[in-house]
Amino acid sequence: MHEQAAVVVSRHLSKWYGQVSGLNDVSVAIPPGVTGLLGPNGAGKSTFMKLITGQLAPSAGSVRVLGEPIWGNPALYARIGFCPDQDAFYDRMTGLEWLDALVRLNGFAPDAARTAAMRALEAVELLDAAGKKIGAYSKGMRQRVKLAQAIVHDPELLILDEPLNGMDAIMRRKTIRMIRDWARAGKSVLVSSHILYEIESMTSNVLLINNGRILAEGNVHQIRDLIDEHPHTVFVRAEDPRALGRHLLAEDDVLSLRFEGGAVIVETARPDAFYTRLTRMAASGEAGVIEEVTSPDDNLQAVFKYLVKQ
Amino acid sequence: MTATTRTRFWTAATRIFELSFGEMLWSRRTIFMALVVGGPVLLAIAARFAAVNGSVRMRVNGVGLGSDDVFGMMIWLLFLRFSVPVLGVFYGTALIADEVEDKTITYLFTRPIPRAAVLIGKYLAYLACTTLVVLPAVTIIYFALVPLAQVPASFGQLLEDLGILALGLAVYGALFALMGASLKRPLITGLVFAFGWEQVALLVPGYLRQFTVVYHLQALFPHAMPSGRAVSLQAVFRDTSSPVTSVCWLLAMMGACLALAARAVERREYVLEQ
Repeated sequence: MHEQAAVVVSRHLSKWYGQVSGLNDVSVAIPPGVTGLLGPNGAGKSTFMKLITGQLAPSAGSVRVLGEPIWGNPALYARIGFCPDQDAFYDRMTGLEWLDALVRLNGFAPDAARTAAMRALEAVELLDAAGKKIGAYSKGMRQRVKLAQAIVHDPELLILDEPLNGMDAIMRRKTIRMIRDWARAGKSVLVSSHILYEIESMTSNVLLINNGRILAEGNVHQIRDLIDEHPHTVFVRAEDPRALGRHLLAEDDVLSLRFEGGAVIVETARPDAFYTRLTRMAASGEAGVIEEVTSPDDNLQAVFKYLVKQ
Repeated sequence: MTATTRTRFWTAATRIFELSFGEMLWSRRTIFMALVVGGPVLLAIAARFAAVNGSVRMRVNGVGLGSDDVFGMMIWLLFLRFSVPVLGVFYGTALIADEVEDKTITYLFTRPIPRAAVLIGKYLAYLACTTLVVLPAVTIIYFALVPLAQVPASFGQLLEDLGILALGLAVYGALFALMGASLKRPLITGLVFAFGWEQVALLVPGYLRQFTVVYHLQALFPHAMPSGRAVSLQAVFRDTSSPVTSVCWLLAMMGACLALAARAVERREYVLEQ
């Protein structure tokens, strides 16, 4: 990858928190388009995201975003949209008020700010809840409004830290489609996740990160076969977990299944087929309402252990 | 800083003010502020009832106190020596810390505005929020304590008091904003400063007292104190600087603290707990 064309370039980038290393000698050039940053929790994804969004200063090395250094360069944020991983908001504000206030920080005039805020809410399908307080939003709505604040000023580069967390299956699919559409519209997107199948559905270009180091970069399909050998656990919260369980057991892509609270925890050997089927079931409503789908982090941890051994 | 940059800075600070003011006013901290400020109001109303009934008359050293003496004492002891520094500590140290704790700072620090504008905007919101609560409370106390007939003669003094309180809130707020932006445990340091250092330094002869806020506020304080006949507060502490010098000191302290706080916020990394 030629560095001049890259949207993010880091050279020997390291970050230490006291004695603890968060990121270790990372040199990468992230190309335009969609790039996935894949790694288990604690791998250094969020540290990398914070460094490339200028929230942290490098302990060593350098990082340039869209050709400019990011630390201490707030003007660059006009070209970047960032969706952080934390579930934190001004709960007393409505979604519209919040977006309006944030986009005005980008220098938008009141009318333009209101228009941009409405457009962003529409893009994440939250227009109906625009006047509702964020404190009353569901987890999935909060994720979507967080995504809306990242796109509200129409940035060139979107940096999304675990954007699909807490979304239901349908919204995940829509968000993935939205990310692909942004890329088609000429935007660049860097998206982190600990779920390979999410990343794979958005892009084939991935950076694998673990223990603060980039293990591999390039085409995701090359490691796909290795990863598929590992059973994958999926946590599905549903209105009627038992009905959902019955439907899930109808096919042989489920290895085992157990119930926990209002959720079904499924182990599958064919995650691709399983996710496709789950999305179809959520859309048709045949097994009741599916509220949340998450993939526990130990899936990827096991895969990474395996990859490192290879 | 060019004129355009300055305009952008103040526009950004104004936007942050608009975003923060409502959040600050309707926060739990405002309940605390209402308690701190509401106590003296209730006390004043109780004193008014007692005066109307003729049941109690406050005396110091055998000298009966007039209503404006009581008002002056309340402003000095309950507001300038207690409420104003307390509000300064609790709000000032939290300007950035609250956003960090709530993990909402990311949304402000990833917008194309200087970080210093975030601090200044939030500082202005603090100032508006506290003066909107403190100044009306003091006005209520004034009207509760001072008989209507005496209002025309002493109303100017009330305005002076309100000005001094606003200045006190501004200076303490700036000082504690600096602590909040620079230190890891600003609340404790702030309390030690307000109720340790300021008390001690005031009693030590020499120049040390110049480095307190309260020393300069007392130089501006217009009320007669209730020991003997019309002995001014300045006389109690014997040497005070001139009001003009004190105002200059206070403004310089405020400016320096805000500038240093802005610099600290620009340079500091805020690591959010995972």
